[in-house]
Amino acid sequence: MIELNSVFGAFALLSSDINAWLYLLPGLAIGLIFGAMPGISITMAMAFALPATLYMEFLPAIVFLTAIYTGAGFGGSVPAVLMGIPGTSSAVATTFDGYPMARKGLHNEALGIALASSVVGCLASYVILFILIVPISGVVLKLGPLEMFAVAVWGMLLLGSLAGTHMSRGLLAGTFGVLLGTVGMNTAGFVRGTIGIPWLLDGVPQIPAMMGLLAASQLIGLINTTYLIDDEGSRKISFAKILGGVRQTFSHPTIIFRGSLIGVIIGAIPGVGSSISNLLSYSETKRNAADGDTFGQGNPKGVIAAEAANSSSEGGAMATMLALGIPGGGATAILLAAFAMHNIVGGPSFIAHNKDIVYAVIFSNFAQAILLFVVGLGFVYVAGYVVRVPLRFLIPSVLVVSTYGAYAIEGSSAGPITLWVFSVLGWAMVRYGYPVAAAVVGLLLGSLLEGNLLRTNQISGGDFIGYGLDRPWALVIFALMLGSILLQLISKRRRAKEEALSAVQSS
Amino acid sequence: MSTKSGRKIVWGHLILLTVIVCVVTAYLLDARGVSLRTNNLLLVQPAAILALVLAALVLPGIFPRADSTEEAEINSETRADLIRVFILIAALAGLAFSLEVVGFDIATFIFMVVGLAVCGEKRWWVNLLFSAIFTVFLIYGYGTITPFPFPLTFL
Repeated sequence: MIELNSVFGAFALLSSDINAWLYLLPGLAIGLIFGAMPGISITMAMAFALPATLYMEFLPAIVFLTAIYTGAGFGGSVPAVLMGIPGTSSAVATTFDGYPMARKGLHNEALGIALASSVVGCLASYVILFILIVPISGVVLKLGPLEMFAVAVWGMLLLGSLAGTHMSRGLLAGTFGVLLGTVGMNTAGFVRGTIGIPWLLDGVPQIPAMMGLLAASQLIGLINTTYLIDDEGSRKISFAKILGGVRQTFSHPTIIFRGSLIGVIIGAIPGVGSSISNLLSYSETKRNAADGDTFGQGNPKGVIAAEAANSSSEGGAMATMLALGIPGGGATAILLAAFAMHNIVGGPSFIAHNKDIVYAVIFSNFAQAILLFVVGLGFVYVAGYVVRVPLRFLIPSVLVVSTYGAYAIEGSSAGPITLWVFSVLGWAMVRYGYPVAAAVVGLLLGSLLEGNLLRTNQISGGDFIGYGLDRPWALVIFALMLGSILLQLISKRRRAKEEALSAVQSS
Repeated sequence: MSTKSGRKIVWGHLILLTVIVCVVTAYLLDARGVSLRTNNLLLVQPAAILALVLAALVLPGIFPRADSTEEAEINSETRADLIRVFILIAALAGLAFSLEVVGFDIATFIFMVVGLAVCGEKRWWVNLLFSAIFTVFLIYGYGTITPFPFPLTFL
C-alpha cells in the first residue's frame, strides 16, 4: 500500500524546498481568521487566496491552500463554542455541547477540547490517507445514490437523539426542516414551494438559515442577559484550563478514533463531506455514551466527537480529490483549480505518476496539524475574550456580522432576509421547547435525502429492495446503522439492569 | 388565559404551530399542484403528512394545565422584556430589507444605534461612537474579504 521510494522522494521534495514550509504559518493564520468569521466559508477563504498561488511553485501553492483548509476547518469551531454560531456547516454539531459548555463558564476547556480533537482528527485522517489512499479511492467509485441515501438516513437518526424532552416537538422540528430543505427545484426538475421568489429555485439558502436558527435566535433570546457567562469569576481566560481541555480530550481515545474514522469515510464521499460527518459522529457517540442523556447540556464528549469528525473529513476529501480527481466539495474544487493553474490534472494518472508529490502533501499536512495546535492555542486564548464583552455590545455586533456573512454567501439580500426569517422562527422554537438543532439537521439533509432517493427510484425502477440487494456497500452501511442501534439498546438494557441491581444492594 | 377546565392557552405556541401547519399544508398543496408524479412527491408528500400528524400530537401541549410548571419560565418574562425582543427583531428586519436600498453604511449604523439602545446601553455618546466606529470598521474590514461589493451611500 505504501511505496517507500515515493516516500523518500517526498522527503527529498520537502527538504529541498524551503518555500513549502514558509507558507504553512500564514496559511493557517488566514484559515483560522476567515473560518472564525460567520458566513466566511472554507471555500471562500481558499478562493480568496487562490490568485496568490499563481506565482508560487506547485508544491508550496498546494501546501499554502491546504494550510488554509486546515486552519479554516478549526476556525469555524471557535464561534460555534463561544457564541453558538457555526462558522461553517461542519461545525454545527460542535454548537450542541460547545456552546452550553461556554455558557456554564467552561469556555476555556471547550476551546481546548475542540482544538485538541481537531488536531488529532486531522493527524489521524492523514495517517489513514497515507496508508489507505488507493483502497479508499477504489471504494468511493463504487458508491451510488442508494449508499448516499443510506448515509443521509443514518444522519437522520440524529433527530431522535436531538428531540430533547418533547419527542413529538423534536420530530416535528426535524420533519419541518427536511421539508424546508426540499424547497426549490428538485433533481427531477419539479419546482415547489418557491412562492414566486427566484432565489428559492436553488432551495432555502442553507448557511444563512442555519445561522439564523442556531445563532441569531439565541442572541435575540439573550437580550435580557448581561454577559454570556453570568458568574463573573468564570469569565476568566485561563491558559491552564485550555490545556486542561486538551488533556481531557486524550482521555477519550475511542471517541476520537470513531470520529476520525467516520470523518475520513464520509469525507471521502463526494457531495457529503464534513457537514454530515460531524452530525453522524455526534449521534454515534451520544448513542454509545453511558451519559448520553447529558449530551446537549455541555458534555465534552459531544465536542470531541464533532471536532474529530469534521477535521478528519479533510483527509477523506483529499483522498477522493487526489486519487480520482473528483472534488468532494468547494474546498477540494479550489485545490483542483490550483492544480489546473499549474498545468496539472488531478486523478488516477496524477497519483500513479506523482506519488512523491502526493506523499509530500500528506507529510506537510502532518506538520500543519502540529503547527495548528501551537497557533490554535494562541488563537483560542485571544478569541476567548469574547465572553468578557458585555452582551449589549455583543448582540447587535454579532447580528450585523452574521447579516454581512449571509450577504457575502448569497451576494444579495436573499441571505440577510433568510437569516432574519429563520432567526424569528428559531427564537419562537427555542421559546416553546422545539430543538432547533433538529430543524437544522433536517434542513441540511433534506435535499440530499430527496436527491438520492429520486436517483435510486429512477435507477431501480421502483424496486428498492431488489436493487438494494445488489448493492453490497449500501447493505454494509444499513447493517452498520442497525448494528449501532442494536448495540445501543443492549448497552442501555445492561446499564438499567446494573443500576437496578446496585439499587437493590444499597437498600 | 385559562379555560373553565383549569387549562390555559399558550398563545405564542399556538401561533408558532399554526404557522408551521400552514407552511406545511401550503407546501404540500403547491407540490401536488405542480405534478402528481412520483418523482415530485416521493419524499415531500409523506414528510408533509408526517409533519401534520406530529403537529396534531403537539397540539395538547398548547393547552397545559393552569398549574403546569412548563410555561413558568416564559411567564416570568415581563411585558417590557418581550417588547425589547420584538424591537430587536423589527430592527433586524429593517437591516435585512434595507441594506441594498439605503446602503450598508446607513442601514448598519441605524441598526447598531437601535440595537445597542434596546440591549441596554444608556450612554448616548458611547452608543453613537461605538456604532459609527463599528460600521466603518466592518465595511472596510469585511468588505475587502467578501467577493461581492457592498452598496454604500456615504462611505
